[in-house]
Amino acid sequence: MTARPTMIEFRNVHKYYGDYHALRGIDATIRAGEFFSLLGPSGCGKTTLLRTIAGFEGIDRGAVLIDGRDVAGVPANRRPTNMVFQSYAIFPHLSVEQNVGFGLRRDPRSAADKARAVEEALEMVGLKGYGKRAAHALSGGQRQRVALARALILKPKVLLLDEPLSALDKKMREQMQVELIKLQRQVGITFILVTHDQEEALVMSDRIAVMFEGQIAQLADPETLYRRPATRQVADFIGTMNFIPCQVLSEDASGHEVEARGLGRVRLDPAQVPAPRGGDPVVGLRPETLTLLYPGQTAHDREVDGIIDEVIYFGDMTYYDVYLGGTDVEVRLSMRNVPGRPVLDVGTKVDVAWSPEALVLFR
Amino acid sequence: MRASPLRVYALAYLVFLYAPIVLLPLFAFNDSRVIAFPLSGFTTAWFGEMWADAQLHNALRNSLITSGSVAVLSTALGLFAARASTRFRFPGKAGAMGLIMLPLVLPEMIVAMSLLVVLLAVGVSLSIFTVILGHVLICTPFAVAILSSAFQSLDQSLEEAAYDLGETPLSTFRLVILPLVMPGIVASLLICFTVSLDEFIIAYFLAGSETLLSVYIYGQFRFPSKVPAIMALGTILVLLSISLLAIAEYFRRRGIARSGGTDTGGFL
Repeated sequence: MTARPTMIEFRNVHKYYGDYHALRGIDATIRAGEFFSLLGPSGCGKTTLLRTIAGFEGIDRGAVLIDGRDVAGVPANRRPTNMVFQSYAIFPHLSVEQNVGFGLRRDPRSAADKARAVEEALEMVGLKGYGKRAAHALSGGQRQRVALARALILKPKVLLLDEPLSALDKKMREQMQVELIKLQRQVGITFILVTHDQEEALVMSDRIAVMFEGQIAQLADPETLYRRPATRQVADFIGTMNFIPCQVLSEDASGHEVEARGLGRVRLDPAQVPAPRGGDPVVGLRPETLTLLYPGQTAHDREVDGIIDEVIYFGDMTYYDVYLGGTDVEVRLSMRNVPGRPVLDVGTKVDVAWSPEALVLFR
Repeated sequence: MRASPLRVYALAYLVFLYAPIVLLPLFAFNDSRVIAFPLSGFTTAWFGEMWADAQLHNALRNSLITSGSVAVLSTALGLFAARASTRFRFPGKAGAMGLIMLPLVLPEMIVAMSLLVVLLAVGVSLSIFTVILGHVLICTPFAVAILSSAFQSLDQSLEEAAYDLGETPLSTFRLVILPLVMPGIVASLLICFTVSLDEFIIAYFLAGSETLLSVYIYGQFRFPSKVPAIMALGTILVLLSISLLAIAEYFRRRGIARSGGTDTGGFL
């Protein structure tokens, strides 16, 4: 990735609501032109953080910089940011074009130029010809597009998106995800998305900040976040992960030697061992890194025997919960359903292949 | 249909409520000075007699000035209170709102008496101006109730969106909030006007030598010969009240529909 200039910088940002410490020392930089996501469960402070950029929330300590400028005391109407609200906030008493052109009221351009800008913005979001319609008569997806056009017409440096897809149904949501990615590439503006949907964040973002309880637990690109989560909490929040109790036998600069229940001894690279956070040591393993061996197949990696305890059929995939090697350690693994690979029954004895590189040690 | 006790009760209730009102137009068009059955014939003479009374014109003018002023003042005050109660959180809010709404259930006797005592003590001479003061007190809670419903159905992010798009708080109010609560404002004006027009006790206590419509009507009942003309006036007032309330409710509902909210109550 080329080094892009910094667009947003949080410096030790703290925010209180009365006694409640909503943001607890946020330090992060968001680069220009990046699709950045703030991901976390509800109440983690992600929306509050977004609103400090927009200017709807003040901060109690630290600084927020937009394009190198400290925006303390700059009101929302004079910040180079625009927002797409969770409820879309389409003005119900105005037409589609009046909504989209709302921010141009103070623009010195001629009425004809403004009308052209509105038309272009509508075309960009796929609503060409909808200008004269009443805003309150639009569908959810269309409102979403109007909100996008209305925010982008001002050519902000940063577009803020507060859970913009949460009100749409699954199909529409997936379609809008792809459209938003394309739109972001087309306009090249920094997009900052707030979401509680980890899949959405993984699909759309260049980088993701995972937040819990007012702090950023990890800030990384989607692949790093998924493959090498920095904490057990992050691992648990993003996708599914099996946690297997283990003992750390030895540790040195070249890596860690652990004894994982049901799996045996494993050597881990330093890259597989994030900084310790306290808590009992466990190794984490994603379901898709485990494979059921069908008769005639041999393992490339390591093998362990087990018994199927639960079968969850998903159509394209089947999830199996398997007890490992005569222990009480149960792992979930996922298998793609392909011809010649029947779905197995509960109670079947199976061999499970796994690879040490897929492990992450949390302690 | 079966005459279940509940059905009979409901019917009796409605008859009790509305039969006297139905009598108004019945006798307003009856060709006899005596208010009694059987009806003797059809006439519109009472409407002419009613209108010929100069005192009525005076009372009507007083009432229109009073009710018009009360509607505007109460709605303006209600606008501030409703906005504050739906948009902001501040210490003592529940108490303040409770006190604003209290005149709604406070006996009007008490409001009228205490105002009379205070006004006399302060040395304000009684006139329709003092009636306006009293009526604003009892009408403001109605305005607050209607306007709160209008503000509550307003999505707060609409305001933030306008602000985000470069508008100041003042222009946001003018461009977004005001148009969306306008139906509520119209409804509030009409209801306050109606409440003030109907009101008797305060109008009787605080008007001094002036006469308002409600007091005029009461006074006319002392003369049995004038009762049919009063029936005619009553008929007109019933029609007027119903029309105003219906228009007010229409605007209130339209406002909620326009801002995309759900109905959270109302008067009709």
